[in-house]
Order: sequence, then structure tokens, then C-alpha cells
Amino acid sequence: GLILLFYFIFYMFLVGMFAFCMYVMLLTLSPYTPTYRDRVSPPGVMIRPYLNGFTIAFNVSQPSTWQPYVDSMHHFLAAYDDKVQEEKNIECISGQYFIQGGNESEEKKACQFKRSLLQNCSGIEDPTFGYSKGQPPWVSCFFQIIGYRPGAGVPVSVDCKVQKGNESDLRSVDFYPGNGTFDLMYYPYYGKITHVNYTSPLVAMHFTDVKKNYLVPIQCSLNGKGIINDLNSDRFLGRIIFTLSIGK
Amino acid sequence: EDHKLSTSELEEKYGTSINKGLSSARAAEILARDGPNSLTPPKATPEIVKFLKQMVGGFSILLWIGAVFSWISFAIQLAQGAESPFDNLYLGVVLALVVILTGIFAYYQEAKSTNIMASFSKMIPQQALVIRDAEKKELPADQLVVGDIVEIKGGDRIPADIRLISTQGCKVDNSSLTGESEPQSRSCDFTHENPLETRNIAFYSTTCVEGTATGMVINTGDRTVIGRIASLASGVGNEKTPIAIEIEHFVYLVAGVAISIGVLFFIISVSMRYKILDSIIFLIGIIVANVPEGLLATVTVSLSLTAKRMAKKNCLVKNLEAVETLGSTSIICSDKTGTLTQNRMTVAHLWFDNQIYSADTSEDQTTQPFDQSSPSWTALSKIVTLCNRAEFRPGQENLPIMKRVVVGDASETALLKFAEVILGDVMNIRARNKKVAEIPFNSTNKFQLSIHETDDPNDKRFLLVMKGAPERILEKCSTIMINGKEEPLDSEKAAAFQTAYMELGGMGERVLGFCHLYLPENEFPDTYPFDTDSMNFPTSNLCFVGLLSMIDPPRSTVPDAVSKCRSAGIKVIMVTGDHPITAKAIAKSVGIISATSETVEDIAKRLNIPVEQVNRREATAAVVNGMELKDMSLQQLDEILCNHSEIVFARTSPQQKLIIVEGCQRQGAVVAVTGDGVNDSPALKKADIGIAMGIAGSDAAKNAADMVLLDDNFASIVTGVEEGRLIFDNLKKTIAYTLTKNIAELCPFLIYIIASIPMPIGTITILFIDLGTDVIPSVALAYEKAESDIMNRRPRNKRKDRLVNEQLAVYSYLQIGIMQSVGAFVTYFTVYAEQGFLPSTLLGVRVDWENNAINDFEDSYGQEWTKYQRMYLQWTGYTAFFVSITIQQVADLIIRKTRRNSIFQQGLFRNKVIWVGIFSQIGIALILTYGLGHVTALNFMPLRFQYWFVAVPFAILIWVYDEVRKLFIRRYPGSWWDKNMYY
Repeated sequence: GLILLFYFIFYMFLVGMFAFCMYVMLLTLSPYTPTYRDRVSPPGVMIRPYLNGFTIAFNVSQPSTWQPYVDSMHHFLAAYDDKVQEEKNIECISGQYFIQGGNESEEKKACQFKRSLLQNCSGIEDPTFGYSKGQPPWVSCFFQIIGYRPGAGVPVSVDCKVQKGNESDLRSVDFYPGNGTFDLMYYPYYGKITHVNYTSPLVAMHFTDVKKNYLVPIQCSLNGKGIINDLNSDRFLGRIIFTLSIGK
Repeated sequence: EDHKLSTSELEEKYGTSINKGLSSARAAEILARDGPNSLTPPKATPEIVKFLKQMVGGFSILLWIGAVFSWISFAIQLAQGAESPFDNLYLGVVLALVVILTGIFAYYQEAKSTNIMASFSKMIPQQALVIRDAEKKELPADQLVVGDIVEIKGGDRIPADIRLISTQGCKVDNSSLTGESEPQSRSCDFTHENPLETRNIAFYSTTCVEGTATGMVINTGDRTVIGRIASLASGVGNEKTPIAIEIEHFVYLVAGVAISIGVLFFIISVSMRYKILDSIIFLIGIIVANVPEGLLATVTVSLSLTAKRMAKKNCLVKNLEAVETLGSTSIICSDKTGTLTQNRMTVAHLWFDNQIYSADTSEDQTTQPFDQSSPSWTALSKIVTLCNRAEFRPGQENLPIMKRVVVGDASETALLKFAEVILGDVMNIRARNKKVAEIPFNSTNKFQLSIHETDDPNDKRFLLVMKGAPERILEKCSTIMINGKEEPLDSEKAAAFQTAYMELGGMGERVLGFCHLYLPENEFPDTYPFDTDSMNFPTSNLCFVGLLSMIDPPRSTVPDAVSKCRSAGIKVIMVTGDHPITAKAIAKSVGIISATSETVEDIAKRLNIPVEQVNRREATAAVVNGMELKDMSLQQLDEILCNHSEIVFARTSPQQKLIIVEGCQRQGAVVAVTGDGVNDSPALKKADIGIAMGIAGSDAAKNAADMVLLDDNFASIVTGVEEGRLIFDNLKKTIAYTLTKNIAELCPFLIYIIASIPMPIGTITILFIDLGTDVIPSVALAYEKAESDIMNRRPRNKRKDRLVNEQLAVYSYLQIGIMQSVGAFVTYFTVYAEQGFLPSTLLGVRVDWENNAINDFEDSYGQEWTKYQRMYLQWTGYTAFFVSITIQQVADLIIRKTRRNSIFQQGLFRNKVIWVGIFSQIGIALILTYGLGHVTALNFMPLRFQYWFVAVPFAILIWVYDEVRKLFIRRYPGSWWDKNMYY
């Protein structure tokens, strides 16, 4: 009896001590910016649509094989609808960082990134995004890191090439918007509490002429100052690798 | 049977000739048939078996299972084509390496300690003088065969069992066989039915003390009497040492905990719909976390450190585990001769002028304090000096008198040294008093006589001096010297002599009487032809001068050691082949029988009633004769061992020694037995710890023993006991220290499984704690000084006082261990929170966190992480957890210095090695964190400096809490707290 009571009190004390320590620790944290950001940078890259894995295979003639990608794409781009963006976000000056001073806890404004900027890949004109023509687009974005100013003044761009293999398998890629650059005005990011409506800028890659019926390994990487894209151990850091296999 | 045969029958039986010996060809034939004349050494375990035993003993099995599971899951993952199956392969390899390395280490340690002994027991090849082909030849003793004729002279070791054919004053020391150091004379006569008792056989391994003899070899090698006893010894099984039992118990306990928690969580994780493969990996992690991999090696090192320390104090330990056995000893069965005593006769008392004087019997006497002014003493000293055939070996003038080697028997040696100490340069005195005739001592007339010229140039008389058995000397006397004057020996003076004689004899001393006579000048002129055969001189009506009594005195350190044993609750039993009276006297003088206690016989004498009427319970002491012991049933023996606290066994045979040891063990005692002779080896083997004498001990005894006393001194045993007890306490501390962090290693797995947080610590990291940072500190605890006088408590009870008891496990596991876990988790959560993952986010994220495909994992702030960035963070978490455990283990190490006393009583800096341990711990952690932080396979990451201090409050809490615990234990002994919190 006594021993159980003893352990009860003992553990209650420890739990209390633990809670107290955690409380003190949390007090020292800012709710807007993590104390350290060294493990999360430099940024990684992700592509959309992403369903399951990085080997993407579909047959142009069989809509059921590519329809899920189309749906996923529409779903993903819904947040970038021009109306939504115009309603929530403001227009910013292109070519420079959108630095918002003032109190840390103030709500931050976000810049418009309209779906229409993606042009052929926006799915506005062609609701199948080109899948039906065997010209699949992919949208890439790179990761949100609070306070991070990518490229140090020069916009970061995306380029794609065949990873190990015949360069001619991937004959042409179109990038939108612009030359496949992420405009500086979308940075820096201020965290999800204050930067509520922030929408990550995108670069769409339109693979207009990929060798059909063939596994084509593709690597799209970011290029810019401070970007690391050749780390062997992390295949998502500054680059993304996926395999396309488009059948007729 | 050979002792009954006549010489010619023997010649016939062995096909040899006494004069010519065997022919070389025949000898070679027999040698081929019988094998060499040497004892077969006890069968050694093959090295490979010893090695494999180390590989599967202790926790190794568990770790092997872990390794095999790792490989199985590697194979499955490989077959499934998973991303990183090699992690499990590496883990399996690391586990196997751990087992193999610790196994090699343990094997090496054992081999090292065995080697010490092996070199110790190596014998110098012995030579024997043999007659072969009618020629005398020196041959190595192992070439002897049955039928060889050998010649022996004083100082030789008997090379085989020999039937004597001719002898001249031959005496042998059978102490290696029977334990009695009294030399026995040997002749060619058949005197006893029993071959062991008859005079015409000399036994292998005994020594010839004086005289010469020729004999025929009748037994060689293992067929000799000694060989048969030695094989009897190897027949007695080796008992498991107490510490081995304790460690086994501990291994079972920890393995039990590991397996049950492992299986429990295996079931939990399976029912929580984890994949079987993952569950197996958890199981491995739990096992690895629970098993203190480094501990068994630490225990070995601690024991060998103690063994080294003991070797410095003259206890050479053959079997490492015996170190602790000595500490748990509750009964010591000690030999008398050589162990308790100095193993040399020394003059203890003198009686002259109607008065008994005591002489100094210490080891290094330089003067004698008794009154030497009486002219009687002058006369007595002259007899002592002259009537003595013993001589110092030349060339020892620089040695202390007591250390010089003397040629002569024990009594004469004693008298010679006694005289040398008091008078100085005995040889010169003898030279000045030239000897003209002499009759050496023999057993029929029981006296020794010599006639000398005197050194007084004016005195032309001859001096006749005589010594011998007191009653025989007295018979020959008609006067007695009192204060230098001859007075008639009347009945009153004879009665005084009787009283003195009885008193000295009652002290167990060997008494000699001395008398002299100045031969009248007119009857015995210068040229008188003394003839010792016809005795043409008076041998009666002499003048009695005095008595001298001698004893083999106790070593001066022994009484103190015995009383130490007594306060340490250790019963000291004397087992000797000597006479009961001598045995009792020595027992009394060293305190084995204390001054106030009485034997049954003493009580009977005091109350003047027959022995049978005495209440046996009243007697605390008992002197048991070997003859009585022979007729006793086991129950009676048990009763004696149980009811008397002070016991002396006298006149015991080797077999009886074994019976006594077994009797003590039946009482549940841990028995230490000392012995030197070959005959002791069965008892040494049977004992929980056999202690052989390093100087006087025979090789067989050393072989059978677990420990060798280099100085043959009983007091060294007591220091050994102290060390043994200390190491038991310190091992307890080491184990408590080691077990604590196992909880801090285990909790992460349990919480990982239940709360699905990212893994807080990796299996490899755990191994770095167990085999890296923690090793030196746990060895350092072996250097800890005793907390209180450990020689003032009773020996531990084998059944009750376990090495690892419930309190120790509970306190380490459920209190300090949990505190450490909490401290480490605080660090873990801090690291994650400061990188963007608040504790609330972490709960339940495991599946996504570990998903290789999710590379945009969002943290609490909306930042996105790739898989690899998460892995790096996870490893940073491992490192933080590791560092926290290390920091808290420093506190754990400090609190484990004592179990009862405050650290400040014990002294924080008295044990310097602890600080070496602490610095090594932190140093290794720094190297791992910052030096090896970039080797990905090790899962260490450079850590921000401030994270080293997150757990410091918990480390301080541990220290304070333990001080409070100890304070309450000291304040309220016997209370609920004491019972539950003292380990």
C-alpha cells in the first residue's frame, strides 16, 4: 500500500517536473519563428501531381490511367484560382523580396500567384492539362522555410534533364511562368500563423515531347545561389527525380 | 605389499639386482610399459571450448538472438526491395561484434590469470641417483622405473615410492603426505602392516631430512601413494563460486526483464497494427536497451583489479571469482603448522632456580629479555651451547640469526639460535670448549651427551653435558643447581621440577632437561681415553641445571587476524595433525579458543565431575581428536560444528579434513580451507575456496587451490577477506550504476511504440553508451573505498544477501532510471521544438515521419521537410538523448559511490579513478558528438552546446534525491524507508 502511494507521489512529482520543464522550454520559443532553421534548409523540391511514388506511367489512349493525375492537379491548383488569389492576396512588385516589417505577431500579406500564370499547364484551356495529348505537365514548388530568401537577390530557376540516359528522350520542356523562375516577391515566408494566405509560388514544367513507351528518368533541379542540388544522400534536396513512362 | 617382502624376494619380483640395478635395456622396456615417473596433470579444458563458452555465456545468447533477428529482417527487407535494408545488416553485424569482442576479452582475461598459475606450478626437473648397469648415474627423476635402485641423501626429494634396503640415520619429512612436520626415521625393518605406517617405505614427493638410504623403486608416477591422492583430488567436483551464482542470478533477472518486456511490446506493437517486421526490430531494440553489454566485462576487470591488489598483499588468486568467495567466507578451516605458526621450533620457556622464565618467540628476536644474571643460567647456557650438534651453514654471517639456515633437527636448531641470540658466536664458544667425546641422541636412551674441555685455562677438568627427556635426565641426577650452587635433589625439589614440567607440557611445549657434571681432574686427566661405546665415564649422579621448553610459536600477526575474523563473524577452525595439547595451546595463544571459553574437559576439571555429566551446551570451545572423529556419525559432527563456536580438530587425517569441510558446508557455510600438503588437496578442492601455502605448499595443493598465500601467513587471508567483501559491495554499486541507464535506453522504445513519436534514440547509440561512455566509470567504482568497517559485519548469507536484490533493481530501474528518462526526454523535446516540431506535433507522427515518399513534411510552423532532413533531425535527437543520459550518468556515478553514507562523508575526491571515469565519459561523448558527427552510419550529429545542459537540473535532482534517501536510511534504520530503499 505504502509503496504504491510512494510511487504515485514520486511519479506525480516527476510528471510535474517534466511538465514544468516543458512549459519553461515552450515559453522560450517564439510562436512565429522556430529558434533554429539549420536542419530544414536549404530547401527541398516537390512535384505535383503526386499520387504514389515517383514512377509515373500512363497510357494516353486510356483516360482511366491518367485521370487521377488530372483530378489531383485540379485539386492542388484550386487554391491558385485567379478569383481566390485576387480576393485574398495583394499584387506585389516583381523582382524584389516582399519584406514586411513591423510586429512579428502582425498578420502578413501574401502575394498573388494566379493559376493563369501557368498558361498551358493551368488547366484552364485544356482541362486535361495535356495528358490526353501525351504532354503531361508537372508543377514543382520548393519548400517553405521561414525567413528564407532564396537566390540572394537573383531568382531561383528550375531546369530539367534526363538523369542518366539519352538526352534526346526528353526533347523539349516548356517552363511557366517566365523561364521557370520563382519570383523574389513571394519570399520570404513568415510562417503559417501570420502568413495565413501564403501560397507557395510554382513553376510548371510541360513535357511536350517525351519519348513514348519508354522509361525516361528525369531530374529537375533548382539552380541558384545557396541551393544545394547534388547531395547524394538526399534526393529531394534542391532537386527531384522521377521516372516518366508514357504509353500511346 | 612390498614392505613385507625380503630383499631377495623383491629382487626376484622386479627382476633387478641390488648391487647392479637394472640394465638400461630392461629399464627402457619398463619405461615404455609404465610411462614416465610423473603425475599426470589434471585434465585441462581445451582452449577452444573455453573460448566458445565465453561466446555463449551470460547475455551473449540474447545478443545473438538480436543479431539473428536483424539479419532475418535484413533478408526480408532485401527480398521486398525496401529502401534501406542495410541498416539491419549493420545492426546485426555490430551486435555479433559486441558478443565476439566481449567474449574475446573475457577469454583473454581468464587466460591471463590462468597463465600466472601455470608459470607458478612449473617444477624444476628433479634428478635422481640411480644404479643401472652396475654404475651410478644421475638421471631425471621422471625416467625412473620400477625396480631401479636409487640412493638418497639428506635434503633430497624422494623421487618415487621406494622400499628401503639400507639406511644410515635416515629421516624423512612426510608433511607433504600426512601434514605432520615431525621428521620420521626410516629403516629397512618392516614395522607395520599398513604400508603408510611402516618404516621401510619412503614416499614420492616427501623429503629426506637427514641421513642416507638406498632403496628400490616399487611404484612410479600415478601409481605412487601421492599419485593416488592427487587423482582423488581431481575426483572431487569443483563447486560453483558464490559470485558465479550471483552473476548467473543477475543475468537471469535482467534477461528475464528484457525478454518479458520485449515480448510484451512485441504483442502490443503487433496488436497496434505495426508490421511484424517492424515489431521484430522493436524487439531487438528493447533487448539491446535492456542488456548491459559492457557489464560482464566490467565485472571481470573489477575482479582482476582486486586480484592484483590481493597479489600485492600476498594472496595470489588463481580463479578470479575466488576473490569474492573469500569475502563471503563464513568458516575458515586453517592448518596449524606454518599458517598460524612460524613453522619452526623456538625456545619459549626456561625453568631454572625454581622459576619459569618466558622467552621472546617473535619472528625477529634480537635479544632475550629474561633475567640472565643468575649463575645457573650461565651453566645452563653452556650446556645448551655445547650439547648441540646443529650448525649454521657457512656464509650467512650477514643474515639475521632467525633467517640463517641450520643443519640439524628442529629442536637443536631452536637451541642453537636461542644461544646465538643471547651469547653470540656459538661456533667460537664450541671451538674454545673442544669436544672430546659425544653420544648422539637416540630413541632408546633418550638423551644426548658430550664431553668437553673447558675454556678456562686454569680449569683442567672435563665438562660432561647432557640433555634429553626431562624425566630421564632427572633420574640421572642427584643434585640440582639453585642460584649457581649445587644442592641435593630432595623430594621437595623433585616436586617443584614435576610441577614445572607439567606446566610447560600443559602448554603444549616440548620440554628438554639439561644437566652437567665437571669430571674430577684426578680421575679423568688430559689424556683420558673416553669411549662412548663402553661409557667409561659417569652418567649418573649428575647435577640438574634446568629445563627448556620449545614450541612452534604462533606468528605475531595471527592473534590480531583471528580477532578480526571473529568481529567479521567468521569462525576459525583449526584442523591439524598435531597433538591435541599442542593444538589447544596454540589455539589459545592465537585466540581461536578465547581466554574465557572452556572445553567440556575444562569444565569437568573445574567442577571436578566426569566428562559425561557436563552439559555440552555450556562449553563454547571443543577440541576434537581425530580418533573421536573417526567414530562420529555425521549428525554428531554437525552437532559439534553447530554448538561450539571455537573448535580445534587435532590428530586428524587428510580424509577427515574432507569430512570436516563437508560438515561445514552442510551448515550452509562458505568454507575456506588452508592446506599445504598433497594430502590436503581433496579438502582444498572441496572447499568453496581452497587456499594453498606458497612457501611450504606442495604443487598438488597449489593445483587444487583457488588461491595461494605467498607468505603462508594466516593474516593475509584476513586482508583477502576484506578485499573480497569490498569487491562485493563495489560490484553492487557497479551493477546499480549500469542498470540505471538501461531504463533511460528502454523508455524511448516504449514511448516510440505507444505514442508514435520519432525514434528518440538508436540501437547503435545505445551500444555506444553501454560499451563506450559507461565502461570506465563502472570500472572506477571498483576502486571505491569501503563505506564503513566491513570487517565488523557478519559474512553475507549466500541465500539472502544477493548481489542484485529486489531493492537494487527497483531503485535503479523505477526511480533513478525513470528520472534519467524524464531528463533525457526533456532534452529530446527541446531539440525538436527549437527546430520547429512542437511536442504536440510529434505525437502520432511516426508513420508519416518515417515514410520515405513524404518529402514535404510540414512542421508546427508550416515549414516543409524532406525525409533526409527529418533523418538528420532524428539523429540530432539521438545525440541529444545520448548526451543527456551521459550527463545524468555522471550524477549516477557520483551517487553510487556510497550506498548508505553521504557522498560528503565518503569524500568526493578520495577515489581519483572516479574522476578519471567522469572525464572519460564526457570526453568520449564529446568525441562521438563532434568528432564522429559526420559518420552517418553511427547516427551522431554535432549538437548545439546548450543542449548539454538541459539535463543538468535532472542530474542535480538525482544527486539531491539520493542524498535524501541516504539521510533517511541513516536516520531511521530498520524503518520502512530503510527496508525499501537500501540496496
